[in-house]
Amino acid sequence: MARVKQVSEHRAEGDVERVYHELRQTMRVSGVDVSLRTWAAYPRFFVAMWEAMGPNVETRAFEELAAGLWQEVLDTTVGWEVLGAWSAVQLGPSQRFHARGALELYEAMLPRVLLMVSAVRLALDGHVVGHRGVPGELERLEHGVPARMAAMEWVAERPRDALTRSLFTDIEKTVGPPGVPGEYRALACWPEYLEAAWRRLKPRMKDEDFQAAAESVRESARKRALSLPYAVALSRERVAALGENVNAVARVTEALEARLPSLLLNLSRLVQDVPDMLRQPMPGASRLVPDWVAAEELR
Amino acid sequence: MNWREWQRHQDVLELGQRFVSYVDWGRGSPVVLLHGMPTWSYVWSGLAGGLATSHRVLVPDLLGHGFSDRRDRFDRSLSRQAEALEAWLDRLGVVDAAVVGHDVGGGVAQQLAVRFPRRVSRLCLLDSVSYDAWPLPLMAQLGTPWMARRLSPERMVGVLSWALKSRGFAKKPSAQVVEGLLAPYMTEVGMVSLARDAVALNTNQTQVVTPRLGHLAVPVLVMWGAKDKVLPAKFGERLVWDIPGARWVKVPDAGHFLMWDAPHAVAMELFRFLEGEAPVTHAPERPVAEVLWGEGAPG
Repeated sequence: MARVKQVSEHRAEGDVERVYHELRQTMRVSGVDVSLRTWAAYPRFFVAMWEAMGPNVETRAFEELAAGLWQEVLDTTVGWEVLGAWSAVQLGPSQRFHARGALELYEAMLPRVLLMVSAVRLALDGHVVGHRGVPGELERLEHGVPARMAAMEWVAERPRDALTRSLFTDIEKTVGPPGVPGEYRALACWPEYLEAAWRRLKPRMKDEDFQAAAESVRESARKRALSLPYAVALSRERVAALGENVNAVARVTEALEARLPSLLLNLSRLVQDVPDMLRQPMPGASRLVPDWVAAEELR
Repeated sequence: MNWREWQRHQDVLELGQRFVSYVDWGRGSPVVLLHGMPTWSYVWSGLAGGLATSHRVLVPDLLGHGFSDRRDRFDRSLSRQAEALEAWLDRLGVVDAAVVGHDVGGGVAQQLAVRFPRRVSRLCLLDSVSYDAWPLPLMAQLGTPWMARRLSPERMVGVLSWALKSRGFAKKPSAQVVEGLLAPYMTEVGMVSLARDAVALNTNQTQVVTPRLGHLAVPVLVMWGAKDKVLPAKFGERLVWDIPGARWVKVPDAGHFLMWDAPHAVAMELFRFLEGEAPVTHAPERPVAEVLWGEGAPG
């Protein structure tokens, strides 16, 4: 697949910038992940995707579906051998605090990203995704990033440091396109830790039971996506009508859906390797808005 | 010591919804070393070990700097920095400490000494921001969201690296030192955080404490690199004039980063000062014009 140029949060403009802000606030995360930044390379599609997905993403139902998916992943990997990367490297207390924060952030975000990707993939394939509820009628969650959530800090995709560069090349080759996943770019802030973790994660990814587990996660995400509360009004025809390259959008979406289950399994192993992980509040608290605001929004 | 080794020594302390990374070495009467901009606690890495042979040396990253909290959610003004440090000292069980501040750290030290006098047993200002000597044009420009949006981390670090090499040192610094001083700002999060730090650079933050410097009731040392091209020595002389009993040391062959240009001389002066040598005033002669017309004397 040809390399797709991601739209960075700082370079985003116009509607993409607006959607980035709404995404961060609605998903209650401190940044926009690689998957979404890749979609943003097709701006009209990206805005339409958010119009279709946004009402779902802000519901408690969506978060519970994502939390259930993540629990499945955790249950799958908990019986696997301990990764041992966390204890293998010499990191100081502050470094561990930051690395743990990065893992907590991705733990809160990645399952929801997979759910979104699965929903979009199914919709583009012509499936009826989501129920026929009226957007806004279900319980919604508060907006805003939790106070404890770490900043989404990444090493550049083409780092100057040779070790990180070769790790990134290997990671991308192993997990597939598009681009180096965000959690690995985040962990690259501590190259020795990323190296220790990747050295242990990679061999396991070739095993049959890993592949089967990834397939199971993918299927589960699709099932959950089909039961989203509101219809996801996206189709190849709509994307074409917006003037976007349908095939390119579909290819990127397929690539994302192909690799995210494996990334989730790896993330689960990383998380289970770290003592004292603090979960981000998920699902969040209910969104409380004055009646007149709600009425205005539902008009 | 390279910057990653220094980072490995950092501990972390959560203060409500923010956190401070810091180095805590040695035993004895506490000494707090405060860095400036655009650096972090690593600027003290050459001196901290030596001082720790006879003192408890505490070297924090100011909020928004280094590897302390750099999220976009708090005020980074000098007064807030001083409040955060006061809370941090409290949490560490430090009743009072000798406070040594360089550059912007000197501004924070002034705030701390004036607003929380019981916390400061001695005050040492090294090439400190003071009066209306700051912010520098480059930093003021960096402190605009517009600028932060147009720069990449690589570009910004490139500009700052050039500024440090060309104006910060009297002797040519090694590439490792310059890279180390700017390391936390190599990512997008770091770059944006530094821009937010730069927004907080505000002349009023030192001018507000100026009238109260004369009331400081602790030993004060003002030390300056004779070849400082960033903050000229005349501001140090003015501080000595305004702080009764302050000791004035001008370090020959040293620029703004005098702790790197003349580490031995700076360490010796600090040791002497911390060991309680009786303050000796070397205040510059009071200009005749000031005697005749008071503080508003024409320059």
